Amino acid sequence: MNRRNFIKKLGTATAAAMVLPYILPTGRLFAATGSQLAPHVVFVMFAGGVRQQESVLQRYLADSQQFSSEGNIMSNMLNGAAPALKVAYGTDPGVGPRGSIPIPPILGQTLQSQGLLFPELRATTAGHYSGYNTLLTGNTGTTQGLRQKPIYPTIFEYLRRHAGTPASKVWFVGNTIGNSLPLLNYSDHADYGVAYGANFLAPNLTFGSSGITHLSNAKVYHPEEEMAPMLQMKYFLNNSYNSGGGVILPNIGNTDAEKQEIKDFVRDTFSKVQTNQVAFPPINDNGDLRNVGFACEVIRRFRPTLTVVNLSSVDGCHSNFTGYLRSLHRADHAVGYLWNFIQTQVPDMAGETVILVSPEHGRNLNPNPILDENDWAAYDHSDANSLRTFSLMAGKGVPSNLIRGSEANPLGSSMDHVLTMAEILGIKSQVQMSGLLAPGTQSLFDRI
Amino acid sequence: MRISASQLLFATLLFLVLGSACRRDEYLIYDVDPIGVTGLNTGKNKLKTNSQYISILYANLFQKALSANQLVEINNLIESIGDKQLAHEIIVSNLMNRNDVRIPSMQEMRADVDGFINETYKRFLVREPTESERSWFRNFIQTNTFVSPEIVYLSFALCDEYQFY
Repeated sequence: MNRRNFIKKLGTATAAAMVLPYILPTGRLFAATGSQLAPHVVFVMFAGGVRQQESVLQRYLADSQQFSSEGNIMSNMLNGAAPALKVAYGTDPGVGPRGSIPIPPILGQTLQSQGLLFPELRATTAGHYSGYNTLLTGNTGTTQGLRQKPIYPTIFEYLRRHAGTPASKVWFVGNTIGNSLPLLNYSDHADYGVAYGANFLAPNLTFGSSGITHLSNAKVYHPEEEMAPMLQMKYFLNNSYNSGGGVILPNIGNTDAEKQEIKDFVRDTFSKVQTNQVAFPPINDNGDLRNVGFACEVIRRFRPTLTVVNLSSVDGCHSNFTGYLRSLHRADHAVGYLWNFIQTQVPDMAGETVILVSPEHGRNLNPNPILDENDWAAYDHSDANSLRTFSLMAGKGVPSNLIRGSEANPLGSSMDHVLTMAEILGIKSQVQMSGLLAPGTQSLFDRI
Repeated sequence: MRISASQLLFATLLFLVLGSACRRDEYLIYDVDPIGVTGLNTGKNKLKTNSQYISILYANLFQKALSANQLVEINNLIESIGDKQLAHEIIVSNLMNRNDVRIPSMQEMRADVDGFINETYKRFLVREPTESERSWFRNFIQTNTFVSPEIVYLSFALCDEYQFY
């Protein structure tokens, strides 16, 4: 080899060595450069519309039913003593008033003590779907149509595009397919969209009675003798269709291996359902609690980088205030159970996870005319009080026992959660530079 | 110079013969008429809804209609899973496990591979296969002796073209 050839080859090899390591499997050229606070985030959309008065303000019946009973009914999340009078939010005793036994707290130390509380945050909207959009896109939901994919990119898409996270590491576990919830796993934005979407699952439905009928008896095909030729034929048909001018099928980008893993998960979960081995919380008498049980199964199996879990049973407050209190108490039970599960049952994520909890909006100051079994008035969500909400986070890198903002000094917005999660996961600058967040949006860490 | 009558006659005949033999060139152009050519599947560009997909799939596999209740249930189940292709795979593999699914036997397929390929294309993709498609499938089925009609049906039910109409 002469000198000229040697220098030419050396130069080519050096250039290749500099570029190739940064081409990620998802096609992303450069790895995320921001520093990461934690490798896992669990975001609980504590949704359905939670009134400040019964949650962080701990006023129980005092600010809603003109009865002087105050206290904390969210014993896993917030510090404070439980109400002493007219306890109706717990479980039913064999003999005695309905709901009079509070569910014992799961966490030895509340999330408030473990982490950071913003007790007076502002929501941008009083509607469920636009509220979800705000929490997941970091932008106002004011122009967001119902039954329409988010206009702005979701945190799922930011994460998958800017950090190169595989699809099976990003999950959205919804409690229902109502309220357009299945639309939230990716946006319609041209620069992001379906290719960066999250795996959505509404497990109460998937693993419910109709799921057992239509999904639980899947035929297991031999991977080499049956699945491999099936995939070969499918790829041939797809090539034939696409080369003939066919349309590209929308696809969130699970690889064949990821799809197989998810199918195995579905099969195994059906087995657990049929043998009562799903990791449900100790009390699991409503959809939120069962949803969290299935979310725990997803977390245990996939150890996701980002898991968003939706709850919404508290929305029964439109017509049943007692039911609302019960659901709020159970939503707290669900959050405590979820956090404890991660710390005790998922070794890879214990001590390596941040949990965020925030409602999508609040509820009205004044009741509607509907009375429930206890003659307590119900509440809708449409006024200024509905824009009052809170945010709580705890885990790796989060300051402990810290409160920022107050009733007299509101601090933060529900839009801030996207940038907060981006900061935790090390993609804050990329999300900011996208220019697609609402003006004034900040990471909650920047509001400390 | 004296020209004889026979010479004159010969010259006249020669002129007539040569004159009639020499004709003007006709400029013929042989060409191909422009005809718009499209692929067999380019008309399929509308994505089937979940309901359309499951109704058509059921009819293709069982040769009968799906009940309204089952349609709603399965439609909701597809909605409950974010990756629609994955949801379809799970649904199809469940349907394949039923006893009443109507699939040709292995012997029927191998006895008339071309006929099976034509019928499968017509059943699932509502068209004839192209010669290259028929040839590829014939070769694939003949060389992979363990490929069953069920696996072929599975590939058609999950392919991209089947998702569109």
